[in-house]
Amino acid sequence: MTPTAKGHFIEPANCIACMACTRACPTRAIRVRDGHARIRYELCIDCGACVRACQYGAARAATTPPSHLDRFEYTVAVPSMTLYAQFGRDVVPSRILHALTQVGFDSAYDISWTCEMLAGATDAYVNEGRGPWPKISVTCPAVVRLVQVRYPGLIPNLLPIETPREVAGRLLRRRLSAELGLAPGAIGIFFITPCTAIMDSILSPVGLQQSYFDGALSIAEIYGPLLRALEVAPPADTLVDEISPRGLLWAMAGGETAGMRNSNTMTVKGPDVQYVFDRLEAGTFQSVDFIEAYICPDGCISGGLTVERRCAAQRNVQHIAKGLGASPAVGEERIRRLLREDFFATEEEFKARPVQPLGRDLREAVARQKELEALLPQLPGKNCAACGAPDCATLAEDVVRGEASLADCVFLKIERLEGDLRAQEGRVS
Amino acid sequence: MPTDVAEPLLVERFPIRGGDYEHGGEAATRIKAIMRQLGVDPEIMRRLSIANFEAEMNLVMYADEGCMEFQVHADAVRVVVADRGPGIPDIELAMQEGWSTATPEMRARGFGAGLGLPNMKRSSDEFEISSTVGAGTTVRYAVYLA
Repeated sequence: MTPTAKGHFIEPANCIACMACTRACPTRAIRVRDGHARIRYELCIDCGACVRACQYGAARAATTPPSHLDRFEYTVAVPSMTLYAQFGRDVVPSRILHALTQVGFDSAYDISWTCEMLAGATDAYVNEGRGPWPKISVTCPAVVRLVQVRYPGLIPNLLPIETPREVAGRLLRRRLSAELGLAPGAIGIFFITPCTAIMDSILSPVGLQQSYFDGALSIAEIYGPLLRALEVAPPADTLVDEISPRGLLWAMAGGETAGMRNSNTMTVKGPDVQYVFDRLEAGTFQSVDFIEAYICPDGCISGGLTVERRCAAQRNVQHIAKGLGASPAVGEERIRRLLREDFFATEEEFKARPVQPLGRDLREAVARQKELEALLPQLPGKNCAACGAPDCATLAEDVVRGEASLADCVFLKIERLEGDLRAQEGRVS
Repeated sequence: MPTDVAEPLLVERFPIRGGDYEHGGEAATRIKAIMRQLGVDPEIMRRLSIANFEAEMNLVMYADEGCMEFQVHADAVRVVVADRGPGIPDIELAMQEGWSTATPEMRARGFGAGLGLPNMKRSSDEFEISSTVGAGTTVRYAVYLA
């Protein structure tokens, strides 16, 4: 099942078939065919590595165009914690929230408290919930997709607790609809996202029938207008900062577990995620209760649609969090009660989206596996990607699946041409 | 366990070196990737992977060298892990929960909780171990496909 709408795509007109995205893709979901890259969405985990790798504007984020805001009577911006880390260490979150109201949104809503609440709910779930352990955070949508596509055995390990953004979106729509006397559909709620993965999660959510967001604008896109809006001083009464420092830390890897009481947690990011998931499926890491995992190398501050370098963003987060002081804890008893009432629970079960096997049944798959292994020694093993597949093994797999031909390999092509040439010379002399 | 198991549909061999912690776990990971390609049920994949990983790390930790052989049969996935190494003097003891001869170095890496062999037996449908002191150990196990 391939989702129709996606948060990222390839613009063929801009693609020069350089293979950068093909190589960057962690699930080998991109092939170059007919002169441009194509994403095989059934293998894609929406991580945005292709968008990041592309230098030609071909692999692109398909975030919501700002003009989309006009379709609603009232619009709200809900920024990722990462947005607060984009403007230096002295621009406090309340100023950024105010700036959002100056660039086209009727209001802006902070979700740091929701993040803190969800950290508490996760903590409570880890104490009271059902195994198997460890549970894996569902905050990073690309991690969830990775489990669906590559690690179906870990589906029961996904934490069945909704993300802070969707919980906030749900509450916000209900509250605003009552407060403003508007139909829920007349209110446009937009996430300000650091990555394509969240855009994808809004278009085709997992664990949820439909997202509570109407779209997402990228941080990179809204950065310029926000910077200009920040030059104008906000009214004095908006300067009071009521941000949860514990929630703010969700912007970076380690932040989600930072406020948890349970210490048997582990933070995994970037390429380590697949290493750890491979071992998890083999039954190791039994002593870990909860894994916070991010596809990006440093969590959301290193998302592909951010502006500030992650080292600086990290410094900003830490500085701002320190300035906010100790966080007054959200009532633990209340969180436990809400957890038992399924207030935070995901609405739908997580489902595996396993890769298509090599054959229709075991025998056919085995036959193709053998074919594949026989093909490998014929290929140069240089993994140059010039054939359009990211490496030789993937080309071999495409060949046995009937989706490519050995003749696509440029080294084999050169060998054959040289052979022809020698044969010709032989005839001439 | 029947010894005259029918000819496997597919056989893959992975050599493993003793003491090679850096690559420990790679054979188990490769086998899992093959099972994924073949469309093996995730639960069966999970059970065999648990046994594979234990077997591979046991070999890395205790033996000099060895080989993990993965076989696909019409009705089961089977693995034979044979090593050249010190062997196990008292298999009955080694099969007890919590029994371990792991060194502090191994424990520091998260192994040696004494879960190894019993855990392998628990996650497989067939399990057989034989060992000769001073020569080596062979472990055979299988998970049924249906």
